[in-house]
Amino acid sequence: MTRDRSDEEFFRVVADASESSETLPAPSSLKARIYSALVNRQAEAAPLMSFTELKACGQRLCVFEELVRIAPVGETIKSLNVCRVCHARVLAERMENPPIFWNGCPYVQLKNS
Amino acid sequence: MRLSASLMPCDCPDTLADGSLRPVVSGLPFALSIEPNVFPTPSSKGELSLPADYTPEDCRVSSLRESQPVPELGNASSAEDRALVTAILQKDRKATAEFVARYTDEIYGYVRCRLFPRYDVVNDVVQEVFLAAWENLGQFRGEGSLRSWLLGIARHKVETYYRTQLRTPEPIENYTEDPGIHSTFSITDRLEQEQIRKKAWQVMSSLPETYRLVLIWRYWDRTPTRDMAVKTGKTEKAIERLLARARAVFRERWDS
Repeated sequence: MTRDRSDEEFFRVVADASESSETLPAPSSLKARIYSALVNRQAEAAPLMSFTELKACGQRLCVFEELVRIAPVGETIKSLNVCRVCHARVLAERMENPPIFWNGCPYVQLKNS
Repeated sequence: MRLSASLMPCDCPDTLADGSLRPVVSGLPFALSIEPNVFPTPSSKGELSLPADYTPEDCRVSSLRESQPVPELGNASSAEDRALVTAILQKDRKATAEFVARYTDEIYGYVRCRLFPRYDVVNDVVQEVFLAAWENLGQFRGEGSLRSWLLGIARHKVETYYRTQLRTPEPIENYTEDPGIHSTFSITDRLEQEQIRKKAWQVMSSLPETYRLVLIWRYWDRTPTRDMAVKTGKTEKAIERLLARARAVFRERWDS
């Protein structure tokens, strides 16, 4: 009984001491993969919010998204997940410090978060 | 409660009728507004509450008089959470990026600590947490914070992993309990906190996975043995026996 109590106390002290340590930030490549997976999942059921709507709501678009937004194409195209074919996504999902820098890119935001 | 979050038209002006700036949360197209003289204070559970001695008339005056900072948007986190959730449900991909950027570090830290040293599993579990969050985001009512809600999902995912591992046959370990290892101790006198942390995880990494998981579940997550028994489909006695073996091996390696 005493031994059990002693054990309990020991493990509480060890757990408390280990718990209070600082945690490492998540790898940016993991964030990128999570974001890609979420957007893919969102796009499965119904179209994403189009770039026209995003812009109207005040969201910043990256240079490629902006190109799609001003292109003479329908809203269906503007709702596509264009990041799927973007090299920024590929780099961000595989590298910890990918060489991507342009404003409005969600992968740059995740890299800097 | 008079804290309100409202969806505003995207082309709404940046200033209010009285000339003050309209508060906008994290660049989202939602404006948050608080009625005058109401300064809700966040509770530990992330719920909105007012001080017990609150009176509408003197709240702002006393705050200013005593040079105390006026709470910024009170429980903006809660309203901000709801705004973020609404945007994600509308499939605003920028809001989704904000969601991932804001919460991944904390979820990762929690899962990493609980699944140590199985870093090969950590990333998958963290991703599962976010995908499960997306699947169930419509059920988020904003009663608690989004952070707590996500941590709840993470905890559930970690427990699922524990259950899966603990249901597999236990490793057969030949060890004998040395009564000496249970002698009185004062580890805090002998080791500084950082040393304890390092040593704890060092010992943990050397343990068989079943022992490691059961110890983390019991002592780091503070889960009662009865709950562990229910969740793994084992008897409470079996869990206690497993814990006793795990503790003994841990202590043995700790003292060696």
